[in-house]
Formats: sequence, structure tokens, C-alpha cells
Amino acid sequence: MASTACFIIVSKNDIPIYEAEVGSAAKKEDAAHQHQFILHAALDIVQDLAWTTSAMFLKAVDRFNDLVVSVYVTAGHTRLMLLHDSHNEDGIKSFFQEVHELYVKILLNPLYLPGSRITSSHFDTKVRALARKYL
Amino acid sequence: MEPDVSIETGCMIRIAVLPIGPIPQPHLRDYASMLVRHRRVDLSNISSFYTEHQKSPFANQPWDSGSLRFKFMLGGSPLSPWEDFQSHRKILGVIGICHCASSPDLELVEEEFASACKSYTSALVKRCFAFCPGDSQLEDGGRKGDNLILFPPADHQTQQFHLQTMMQDIAASLLMEFEKWVLRAESSGTILKTPLDSQTSLSSEEVIKAKKRRLGRAQKTIGDYCLLAGSPVDANAHYSTASELARLTGDFFWYAGALEGSVCALLIDQMGQKDPVLEDEVRYRYNSVILHYRKSFMQDNAQRVSTLSFELEATLKLARFLCRREHAKEVVELLMTAADGAKSLIDASDRLILFVEIARLFGTLGYHRKAAFFSRQVAQLYMQQDDCLAAISAMQVLAMTTKAYRVQSRATLIKSLASSDEISDGGKLNPQSVVSLFESQWSTLQMVVLREILLSSVRAGDPLAAWSAAARLLRSYYPLITPAGQSGLASALTNAADRLPSGTRSADPALPFIRLHSFPVHSSQVDIVKRNPGREEWWLGSAPSGPFIYTPLSKGDPADSNKQELIWIVGEPVQVVVELVNPCGFDLTVDSIYLSVHSGNFDPFPMRVSLPPNSAKVIKLSGMPTALGPVTIPGCTVHCFGVITEHLFKEVDNLLLGAAQGLVLSDPFRCCGSPTLRNVTVPNISIVPPLPLLVSHVVGGDGAVILYEGEIRDVLISLTNAGSVPVEQAHISLSGKNQDSVISVAYETLKSALPLKPGAEFTIPVTIKAWQLGTADLDSAGGKNNASMGRLSKDGSSPMLLIHYAGPLVQSGATDVNSSTVPPGRRLVVPLHVCVLQGLSFVKARLLSMEIPAHVSETLPCLDNKYSDLISGGKPDSLVKIDPYRGSWGLRLLELELSNPTDVVFDIRVSVQLENKMKEDKSTFVVDASDFGYPETRIDRDYSARVLIPLEHFKLPILDGSFFVKDSKSDANQGSSRSSSFSEKNSKAELNASIKNLISRIKVKWQSGRSSSGELNIKDAILSALQTSAMDILLPDPLTFGFKFAKSSIPPANIVDLPKEANILAVPPGSKGSILAHEMTPFEVFVRNNTKEMIKMKLSITCRDVAGENCIDGSKATVLWAGVLSGISIEVPPLQEIMHAFSLYFLVPGEYTLVAAAVIDDANDILRARAKTDSPDEPIFCRGPPFHVKVIGTA
Repeated sequence: MASTACFIIVSKNDIPIYEAEVGSAAKKEDAAHQHQFILHAALDIVQDLAWTTSAMFLKAVDRFNDLVVSVYVTAGHTRLMLLHDSHNEDGIKSFFQEVHELYVKILLNPLYLPGSRITSSHFDTKVRALARKYL
Repeated sequence: MEPDVSIETGCMIRIAVLPIGPIPQPHLRDYASMLVRHRRVDLSNISSFYTEHQKSPFANQPWDSGSLRFKFMLGGSPLSPWEDFQSHRKILGVIGICHCASSPDLELVEEEFASACKSYTSALVKRCFAFCPGDSQLEDGGRKGDNLILFPPADHQTQQFHLQTMMQDIAASLLMEFEKWVLRAESSGTILKTPLDSQTSLSSEEVIKAKKRRLGRAQKTIGDYCLLAGSPVDANAHYSTASELARLTGDFFWYAGALEGSVCALLIDQMGQKDPVLEDEVRYRYNSVILHYRKSFMQDNAQRVSTLSFELEATLKLARFLCRREHAKEVVELLMTAADGAKSLIDASDRLILFVEIARLFGTLGYHRKAAFFSRQVAQLYMQQDDCLAAISAMQVLAMTTKAYRVQSRATLIKSLASSDEISDGGKLNPQSVVSLFESQWSTLQMVVLREILLSSVRAGDPLAAWSAAARLLRSYYPLITPAGQSGLASALTNAADRLPSGTRSADPALPFIRLHSFPVHSSQVDIVKRNPGREEWWLGSAPSGPFIYTPLSKGDPADSNKQELIWIVGEPVQVVVELVNPCGFDLTVDSIYLSVHSGNFDPFPMRVSLPPNSAKVIKLSGMPTALGPVTIPGCTVHCFGVITEHLFKEVDNLLLGAAQGLVLSDPFRCCGSPTLRNVTVPNISIVPPLPLLVSHVVGGDGAVILYEGEIRDVLISLTNAGSVPVEQAHISLSGKNQDSVISVAYETLKSALPLKPGAEFTIPVTIKAWQLGTADLDSAGGKNNASMGRLSKDGSSPMLLIHYAGPLVQSGATDVNSSTVPPGRRLVVPLHVCVLQGLSFVKARLLSMEIPAHVSETLPCLDNKYSDLISGGKPDSLVKIDPYRGSWGLRLLELELSNPTDVVFDIRVSVQLENKMKEDKSTFVVDASDFGYPETRIDRDYSARVLIPLEHFKLPILDGSFFVKDSKSDANQGSSRSSSFSEKNSKAELNASIKNLISRIKVKWQSGRSSSGELNIKDAILSALQTSAMDILLPDPLTFGFKFAKSSIPPANIVDLPKEANILAVPPGSKGSILAHEMTPFEVFVRNNTKEMIKMKLSITCRDVAGENCIDGSKATVLWAGVLSGISIEVPPLQEIMHAFSLYFLVPGEYTLVAAAVIDDANDILRARAKTDSPDEPIFCRGPPFHVKVIGTA
């Protein structure tokens, strides 16, 4: 498991709809802010990059200091973004794919308004489990 | 590192611009801005100042197209250790700026300038520009040296031109200096060193190395000067030689420098043309430059000096060159590499410059979030420096990031909205743009950024920025901030406000949240009604415009239907209801809040509100329209936390919309327990000229008038014109429940009072009769009359007076009478607050019949309904004449049972109004309606009483197939004839009508105390009482019987028509009603057939004594008789009477009763129906009423 990792789902409207610090390192609030700042900045690059490839997994698109941003863009232009410090590309790809599946399940919920915050604790648990498994 | 580097930097001549002596800031800025315009001086322009002393080393100088470029370093700059390496880093010229007005002594100026120049050893040209010299200075200045140049006072344009000339002169001097320098450098062997080279001691090895490298370095430097002199071709030649030499000597750093110079020369030569081939070339060469700079990085002196900044600068230069969308990926890669290098930079200011440049380049690329990210890094670096200026810089840099993080201050937001034309029209938002309003809800980031802005602005000493940041933070993110944090922000706001002048405005609202609650429509007292000048009743809507009552087209306009109109009147205060909410955990005091109206025709009244933590409050904000025109109310102006802000309703609406969709953190109104409102539509408000204003009050207090059921009272309503326009038209109508309880309104008083001048007053009386309480009212009112008084008067059961009134049709001053400009009228609703208490209550009504035997007399008692004919003439003095001889013929009593549940005493008076009746009895007999005085019945509280109303005026004359038919045949005996003939169809209706008629004549009036009086509404009760027995009461018996004394002793034995005179016979008064015993007394019995058929019957007469014994037959007969008394078979023709005579001889004096009875043979259906028998075999038996005979005498 990566020592630092921050996972975030950004909706089509650039609103973060799910956030999770999934790293094993001790959580610091400042660091969490910094992670979000990096991920937020990376959206600029993703927005251009997403249209240059047909693959959903964009690999590492951005970096700052030692932290790398990997992005997975769904067909609905929801972006799964992971900030991490290890380079386990296969694991990240599997992680993204599984989270995508979970996200699709969330979308299928008729009570879920696409683009709004994901509040399901079940989803959260699953994502954290996947993070432990793959990262 | 240096800021703002680009590939072209290599050809710029640096000139330090120094202020000499004291210069006011605006003047310095003005002079500097004049100067910096001359960043580029064309070679063609300087040829006049240029003199070729020797053969120019710049052989290929493009005199026609080339130019010299300047870079003005305002305030100068420190010496760079790298100026040998790159000549453009040298300060090659110094320009002093002097404002003569503030430094009068030119000599001093010159001295100061000279000393300032001393630090710039590399400067080749030094000039001091003295602006605005006085006359003495001008004379004086002529004697000074060349360096001091006076700019005589002139207009801006002339000065500009003068300056341009001076700059061209400087450019020419510089060019000549460059030539000199190059010629000297070529000949003499200058040692060029960089900090990279060992500084301290030159070992022999290094000296040799340096000598080898000297030539290459010299070539590179000459190339630099060629570039500065604007001759790229010469420069390129020198650079290629230099790079060749440097490569050979392994001088990678200088090699990279020469390569960089050559790229610059290439670009200058191409004069800004950018074709892909050139780009590829530049990219290729620069990558090589970067590579070689990296190569020259030496680990051993990395601590002391690093080439990293050159590498990063080169990277930035390339990135800037490529910085376009199509190369975005490449640029991003370059910038990311540069950012990675930041870690290795030793100098914090280098890192700062690097991040600034990266942020700028990302911004140019359109990557605003990236730019914001690096800007924030810059701000953090500034914040690490602990001084005020750095904090100001940090604040300014952070302010630039607010757009990307969407935490903009509204001041900048409005500007950007206006410029980008994003304003949605008509306030309508489609769902997509609603989402976009809350786009980038990176609340964590936003809070961090705002907190940093707050921190930096506090440190920078900018209270307004601090206030604005704290306000944004508090308003947008209060749900994420702990109560302690909220209080902290509140105190930050107050602290910031303390340092602001009072009355400071901020674009960003803080708390509270304000939403529009409602626009109170005009109270019914001041309602405005559109006036339709075409109609007499102008308030009844405008006339239909077409032939159709309903036009589908007129309905279809949605804009009209959902936008209601609201009219305000100049000079009349209005109110708007808004809801304030304080979702935070501290007490909020709004120093003043008032409606913000920009149209200038509205005068709002401020008010002060304090809101406890987590509370909502609905307040009414009032104001006064001052001028005509439309009004829009976008929001409220609030003075809170020491600063004035404008709170727009639309923003809160959007917020609530977002909250409804789950896009916003929290709905402040809901979390404070305020109910959700339906969408409040802001009506179109227009202000109209003054209108009259009637104000009403009830004379004697506006409280409810308390009345008992049925009570009648006059209420005086006083009306005052409180407006400034006279009332010219007025009309009163009734509305609401229980309208019919208003008996009369004095319309004439109203009419006579018009026109009502402003301030005038008049009073109109209204008569009210209290209505009956319904059963529901009774239930609630029962027992606790007084307690429920208020409720009863409030629940809208009271009637209302609607007074429509209007001012003059044409405004004073307006000349044209146009229907569209007719000022509207108004409507005043005067509720008549009537509180009805339960009064006398009606328990039941029933009809009673009485049988009082009539005295047999000389005349027949009136047999049928001719009672009412009142033949005796004169006015009746009572309702029913009780005539002891007449008995109870046709007399019925209506018994009303009344109870008094109240606590007062009621006096009851019954009156029966006699209707006017037309009689056709030779003359027309008219009886005036009049009341009969009957003694009053008093009902004490909590008692019941019965009131008897005698009724005798109904029995129909004829029993008929349809129950009756009025026959045209006159009753000769009574002399009364009915000439009118009614068809049978009408007969039933007439029956009902006569019942109604009767009922309407009965009035039960009551009085209680001195003031209360009224009438009991018992119509329905009587009706129901009568209905059950209507047939019995109204229909006559088929036969009527009557007895009388025969007028003569000769009994007529056969049927005769009753002579007309019979009635007229005088009866001796003394013997009236009594006969003597032991005398044969002749009697006559009359049988009248009330049907239209011949009736055959067997008549029998019985006489009974007081004990009811038959006194004719049997062993103890006390009466002897002559004539036939039983089984008299007679036939009575229809509607005729027959008389049967007989005589009685009374043996014993006393009281006797004569009863006639008949058994009808062959009864027809009508008779059966009347007798209510079904079987055809049953004999129909008719019995007459008893007649009383008093026998006097001795036994």
C-alpha cells in the first residue's frame, strides 16, 4: 500500500463528489489540503488529455514534487483521480476499474442525482477495501 | 533567476531608470510611463545621431529594418555575477529622472545622479532627464554638462516627442559605445569569468584552460553585443564561432550560452515569423541548450553556485516560446520539469520567480487551475517572508487565484460577468447553469484559499480585503466551520471593520442570509382598482375588447400570468417582507437593514435587527415611493459587522436552488427551522401618482358590535380622506357573508359628501340586523358568549362594505384625456365587525286548535273564512275578536315556544301585519296594514316561554277535486263574491303562497334592555309547523253546520234559500244568547255544502246537557222537541245552504249543547280523501261544532 494516496471522484461539472485519503501515512490536515490542491490543478491537464486517447485510464498525467496524479476518465466524463507516490501502474488500473464498477452501481440508483455527492457509506467502505487491495 | 525571461531577452539593452531627488509618486509614474514607451528604437531613426568614428564591426547591421531594444529597470537592479557570461544582464545605461519643481538645485541633482551612477560600472551612457524646470533652472541648465537634459515645460505630446529624440540620441550613443567595446574586445584579451570558474586562485592548469577558452568566450561576448546592437546576422556569425570553440575546449556552459544567443539571433533575424520549421529548429537548439546547461552542472561547486537557474530559465524560455494551445502537452511537460527543479533551487527568491513564471505560463496556456496552484505556491513563499510587502504580494497573488477556485469577491465577479456577457437573461436559469453556479465545489480548497487571503490581508494591513475574505468564508462555509471558528471569523470581521472608515462598502455580503418572503398586497384598506372610464361602475373590470367574452389568445401570454403587478403610490409607505437567518453560533446584530433600490424613486426606511444564534426572523421592511416609474428591488442593503453590503435576493434563491439539488452544503433557512417557501415571484412594481385615500373607523370604537340574534342597530362609519387628492367618485356595495343583515346604508349621505377634499371627513349610518347563528356557531358560542366574542367577529362572518372611490379622472397637469392614463381608483373594505350572540332561541312551534262552543243566537256565527272580511267595518282593534257567541270557529292558535339562554331579559311582542285586501263587495274595502298591540311577554334569563298567536284567517271556501277551486259563484249570503277565477294548476301554488303570505305577516319582535331590540326570525319554524297540518287547517270540511234561533215561530219545513236579510235581523239585546225554559223555541239548523257536488245525507241533531247526556231521547228527557231531529234525509246542492227548522222545548233551565251531524250517502272520492278513509264502504260522517244554548227560567 502506498504511503500517501488521495482518491477523489470529480463529476462532469468539476465538482468533487467523493474524497478519500487512502494512504497508510499518518493523516495531516495540511497534507490533505495540499493533495486536493494538486488534484484540482491536474484537472486542467486531464481536460485536454481525455480527448486525445480512447483509453479510459490516462495513467500518470501530472506530478508535483514526489506525488503523481493518475486519472481514469469514465464515458460520462467523471474523473477518478488518484494522487499517489508509488508507481504500481497495474494496481492503480485495477483499482480504477473496480471503483468505476462501484460508481456505475451508484449511478444506477434512481435516487442518486448524477453529479451530486456520493454519500453511501457502503461505497466508501468498498473503495477503501479496494485501495488496500491494489495500492 | 530573473523574472519575465524569454528567448528575446538576449537582445535587450538594460537601462537603469533612477529617480533623482524627491519626486512625487504620480509624476514619477507619469515620467516612467513616458519612458517605457520607447522600448524599441528603430535603427533608421537613429542614423542622424550616429557618427561612424571607425569602421563599424557590425558589418551586417540592418539599418532599414533593425532596431535596438531596451529594457528599463525601474529603480535599477543589483549587479549580476553572470554579467560577463550574458552581456544583456549588464546595466548598459543609466537614466536619471528628476522633477525640477521638487529639486530646485540642479547642481545637487547632478551630484546625486553622478553618485547614483557610480554603482553601475558597466554603464556606457548616462543621462539625467529633468522635467518641468523653472525659468531660472532653464537658464542655469544651459551651463551644465551634457548629462543633464532639461525638458522645458510643454504639453504632453511635445514632451513625448522631446523624449523620443533623447532616446534616439541615447540609442545612437549606445550603438557607438558597443562598436568601441567590440573593437577593443577583439584586439585586447579580456578575461571573461563566471562564478562557475574558480575565483580564488588560478592554478597553472586552470590558467592554461582559461587561455584556451578565452577566445571562444570572447566570440560569444562579441556575439552578445552584436545582438544588443541589433545586428543578428553578425551575432550569429560570432556565436557559431564561439560555440565551435567552446565545444572544442569542453566549455559546455559557454557553449550553451552561445547556442542560446544564436537562437535569439535567429528569431530576431526572422522578425517574429513563426513557421513550423523555425519552431522545430528553436525547439531542437533549445533542448540542446538545456542539455548542456545541465551538463555543466558541477557537483563540487553546487553548494556555491549552480547552473540550475540557467537550465530552468532556458526551460522557461522555451516554454514561453511554445506557449500555445497546440503545444500544450509539450509546454506542460517543460513546466513540470521546471517545477521539479524548484526543489533543488537554493535561493528562495529564485524559487519564487520560478513559480511565478510557471504560473504565468500556465495562465497563458489557459490552464487556470494549474496557474492558481502555482500562484498559491508563490503566495506561500511570500508568506514565509515575514514582512508586510511580501504579505501584500501574497494577498495580491492569492486574489488572482480566486477565480480558478471560485471564491471570487463579488467586486471582481461583477466585472468579469459584465465583460464576458454571461449574465443570464431574465433571471431564468436552466438546470445546467444552476449546476455551473456551484461548479467546483472544492470546499476544502476554497476554505483554505480564503483563510490564506484573510491571513495575508491581515498581515498586509488591508482591512477591507480581510473583511471581504472573512465574509466570504463565513457566508459560504459556515456549516464546515466550528462555532468557535465562526465566532473567530466574526471577531475578525469586527476587527477589520474597526480599522475601516465608517460607511465603507464591501461587495461581498457577510451575514445574515436574506430572502424575499412576500410582497404584502395592499391591505384591503388601500386596495387599488383599475378604473374603467367607459363604464358607470368603473371598478367592474375593463370592457371586453372584442365581441367575445372569452378570448383564448388573451390568456395565452405566460409572461403576463406569472408576473403579477404591484402598484405603489407616491407618498404612501409600503412594506416588503423579508426573512433573515443567522445560521451561525453567535449573536448577530444587524445595525441597519433597508431595501436596496437603485432606481432612485424609493426612500427606504432602515431598521435594526438582532438575531440570536441559529435563528430566523421575518421582518417587514418599509419605505416610501417618492417618484413615478418602475421599481425593482434586487436585494437589501445591510450594515452589519461595521461594513455596508448589498445582499441580493437572487443569490440566496440560487443558493436555495442548489441546496434543493444537493449541490450546496446546507440550506441556511432550513437548518434554522424556517419553513420552505414557495418560489416568491417578484412582481413588477410601478409607482403611480398620488391617489385619494379613505380611512374608515366606526364611530364609538372599532371593536366588534355585539348584537343578539335578530337585533337591529345603527352603526355609524366615519370616513376620512387621508390622501392628497380629493375623492370625486364613490360607491358603496356589500360583500362577504351575511350581507342581508345590512338593512340599509345611507347612500345619499355619501353622494352628498362628494367631492371629499383631502382631510375632509363624513359619517354614514348603516343599519345592521344581526343574523341567526348557525348550529356550528351555537355549539362554540354556547355557554361562553363573551369569551368567544373575538373569535366570532374575526372568522369572517361579518358583512363588509366595499367602498369604491376614485380621484379626478384627469390628473392635474395632464391635458389629454386618454383612457390608458386614467388614474386607478381604490377600494376600501370596511368590515362591519358584528359579533352575534345567541339571543332568544326558538324551541318549537305548533298549531293548536280550540273548541269553544258558540252561543246559538239570532244570527249565524260566521261560518267560514269570511271572518277575515271584517264586514263589521272600521278598523279592527285586535287581531282576533273573541266573540263569546261565536265560539272557536276557524280559530287556530300558533304556539311558539321560546327559550332565553342569555343572561338578559327579553320582552316579546307579537304582531301580525294585516295585508291590504281588495274586496269586491260592491265597494272596495281596504284595510291598512297595522300592528295590533298585544301585551308583551317577558322571558327571564334561562327560562322558556310560550307565545300564542291566534290565527283565524284561513280556511278555504270550497272543497274541491284539486283540494279546492275558487268558484266564481258568489256567496249570496255573505255578499262576498270572488270574481277571480283561478285555473286548477295554480291552485296548489296558491295554497303555498297563502301559507307564505300568512307567515310573512307574523312578526315576533323583542326588546331587551334599553338599547337592544330586534326581531325573531321564525319563518322557517312556522312554515314547518304549518306544513304538517296544512291540509287540515286550510281545507274546509265538506259540510258546515250552524244553528240559530228562528226569527218566527212558523218553521219553514222545506229547503229555502237563505234570504239575504237574514243576517240583518236585529236581535233583541236582552235575550241574546239565552232562552227561556218552558217555551217552545224554534231553531234553524243550516247545512252548507262546501263541495261542488250535490251531497245527499242524513242529518241528525242532538242536544246534550251539561253532563253530556242526551237530553232528548230516553226516559229522563229534559227537552221536548218538535220537528225532525234525526235521520233527516236532505240533499244539499253544491255550494249552497239548506235550512232545516225545528223547535225545542226546554224543561229544565241550564246549559245545553246542540250538535248537528250528518252521514253522507254515496260519498265521492273527494269526500273520502278529505275524511282520510280508504274503504269505499265506510260511511262518511260529518259533525258540526257544538253550539251552546243557555236556558234560563225556573224548572
